[in-house]
Amino acid sequence: MNKRKVTLAAAAAGVITGAAGLSLLAMPAGAGQPPSLPDVSPETLVQQVLTSKPGAFGGTVEVDNKLGLPSIAEIPQLADGKHSARIWTDGNGKFRAALPNGQSEQTIVNDGKTTWSWNSADNEVTKAEHEADEPKPADEKAKSVDPAEAAKQVVGLTKEFSDISVDGTARVANRAAYELVLTPKASEKTLIREVRIAVDSELKMPLRVAVLTNGTSEPAGTVGFSEINVGPQDAKLFEFTPPANAKVTTPEAKEEKGRDRKPELGIEQALQGEDPQIFGTGWDTVVGAKIPAQAMTQVPAEAQGLVDKFTKKVSGNWGSGQVFTTKVATILIADDGRVVAGAVPEQVLFDTIGQVK
Amino acid sequence: MITRQFGSEVRWMLRRPRTLIGLFGLVLVPIIISFGIWTAGDDEGGGGPGLAAIIQGNGMVVPIFTLFLSLNLLLPLVASIWAADGLAGEAQHGTLRGLLVAPVSRVRLLFVKLFGLTAMSLFAVTLMAVVGIIAGTAFLGTDGMMTLSGTTLGTGEGLLRIALFVVLVTFQMVAIGAVALAVSATTEHPLVVQAATMTTIIVFQVLSQFPSLDWLHPFLITTGFPGLIDVMRDPIPLTQIWDSTLLAGCYLLIGTGLAAMRLITKDN
Repeated sequence: MNKRKVTLAAAAAGVITGAAGLSLLAMPAGAGQPPSLPDVSPETLVQQVLTSKPGAFGGTVEVDNKLGLPSIAEIPQLADGKHSARIWTDGNGKFRAALPNGQSEQTIVNDGKTTWSWNSADNEVTKAEHEADEPKPADEKAKSVDPAEAAKQVVGLTKEFSDISVDGTARVANRAAYELVLTPKASEKTLIREVRIAVDSELKMPLRVAVLTNGTSEPAGTVGFSEINVGPQDAKLFEFTPPANAKVTTPEAKEEKGRDRKPELGIEQALQGEDPQIFGTGWDTVVGAKIPAQAMTQVPAEAQGLVDKFTKKVSGNWGSGQVFTTKVATILIADDGRVVAGAVPEQVLFDTIGQVK
Repeated sequence: MITRQFGSEVRWMLRRPRTLIGLFGLVLVPIIISFGIWTAGDDEGGGGPGLAAIIQGNGMVVPIFTLFLSLNLLLPLVASIWAADGLAGEAQHGTLRGLLVAPVSRVRLLFVKLFGLTAMSLFAVTLMAVVGIIAGTAFLGTDGMMTLSGTTLGTGEGLLRIALFVVLVTFQMVAIGAVALAVSATTEHPLVVQAATMTTIIVFQVLSQFPSLDWLHPFLITTGFPGLIDVMRDPIPLTQIWDSTLLAGCYLLIGTGLAAMRLITKDN
């Protein structure tokens, strides 16, 4: 009889352990105790970030996006939600990035001579041989998920226009880090309240970037390592052989094909065009462009519907158009093809659009 | 003593006609999939989400593709049938009474049933994988195994990946079966066990479609299924695979514990 009670208790303990395990798994990983690190002055830290050479590392990057962008089938990575990517670099320009997209995956490998971009969803490899120093779009895409690169750019562009401080420490991907905070100076007319960058205390390499906007306590976007191992990586990671039955194309051919299929790319291309016009400096920089009238008329009705759905009609002494607002950026498209965009409230865009030529 | 019981349990399970019919049905799945993809041919575009895009000419992916698809419905169904027969079926035939009054501890009886479930799940999943490799290679050909990351693994490493996937899928199946055993211990009607298990699995999958219930998703065993596809990425990211396996482990503990509690307190 007694033995029976013991067994019963053991079985009950099993059930409780299982249930506790479930709730433990469901809980988001805690940040843990912030490490205690020697004080560092913001100026030194900024300098160290800008001059740091991360060297070889491999890791998993989590992107948490609450920008409030509509979800577009073509670029699911931009939609709100959490996404992860894995990156490896040898510290000398070779890298590999694996960007899962649901059950598919895009792999980008730069082996030093060639950038390979593989997409499992269409079983296709894009091969871009490096001729000059010109950056390849695939390279840019792979780098955009690297928090270290992103943070360096932000710091480089905005440090003169920000109040910089060190706000305690944090533990990111199990490494001790300083929290570097860039707050736009009061004179900056921007939507962004502050940018927090967790800087590795040893390597001085940014591990996490969080963007906070006015009026919210939660970051509008976070890019950071959830896992990182520093040190030499397997050389095989930086090689790529196209699978036997995959199509291999060049970026030029792919672009050609893409243009036939999607005329709405006209706007995007114009914005990325040769001479975007830059107005202002610092946080409230506004980028402007003029879309050729021809591209405007190419926009198919379907895409036009999409545009109308997410934009607001506005007009003023500058003309009339549509404004598209997210938490961190505003885009104004005038009916005559002028486009301005920036991390600024719409009023700044109304004031600037007149200068677009 | 215990090994003899294990052996006789598996023999007993294999002797049931429905087990054999079930296994035959499972084996048909990879054959039909390979044949279907082969007849679909290399039409323009190909592509598609997940594994479907890379399966053409890549026969070693067939076992993984098959198991991944079957994990959503077919394999839980099979696990629930075995769990239903294990206790509820025996209760229905009156044979469970004999087992309960026998001088064998009831916990041991449960472990014998759990062993039978595990052995048969592993057998069924392995069988599907082997048939998948053969059918996939025969219909679609093979040149190593191409991963979702675009790398090509050698045959040996490909087989290792398949073996890993077999183990992972079996574990999910056993976890579902353990919960089904707990239901099985409470009823004399095997159909109730199957219905309850399948309803739960389907309801879980429906619930996971609602973004507003995202707080609930980490508790659902079905949430762990899609992450197992990481076996086909190169190098393998372990986070999701671990999470799915731990999630199934919790279900295994809960199911086994509840079944044991019910069996111990059960009147003869």
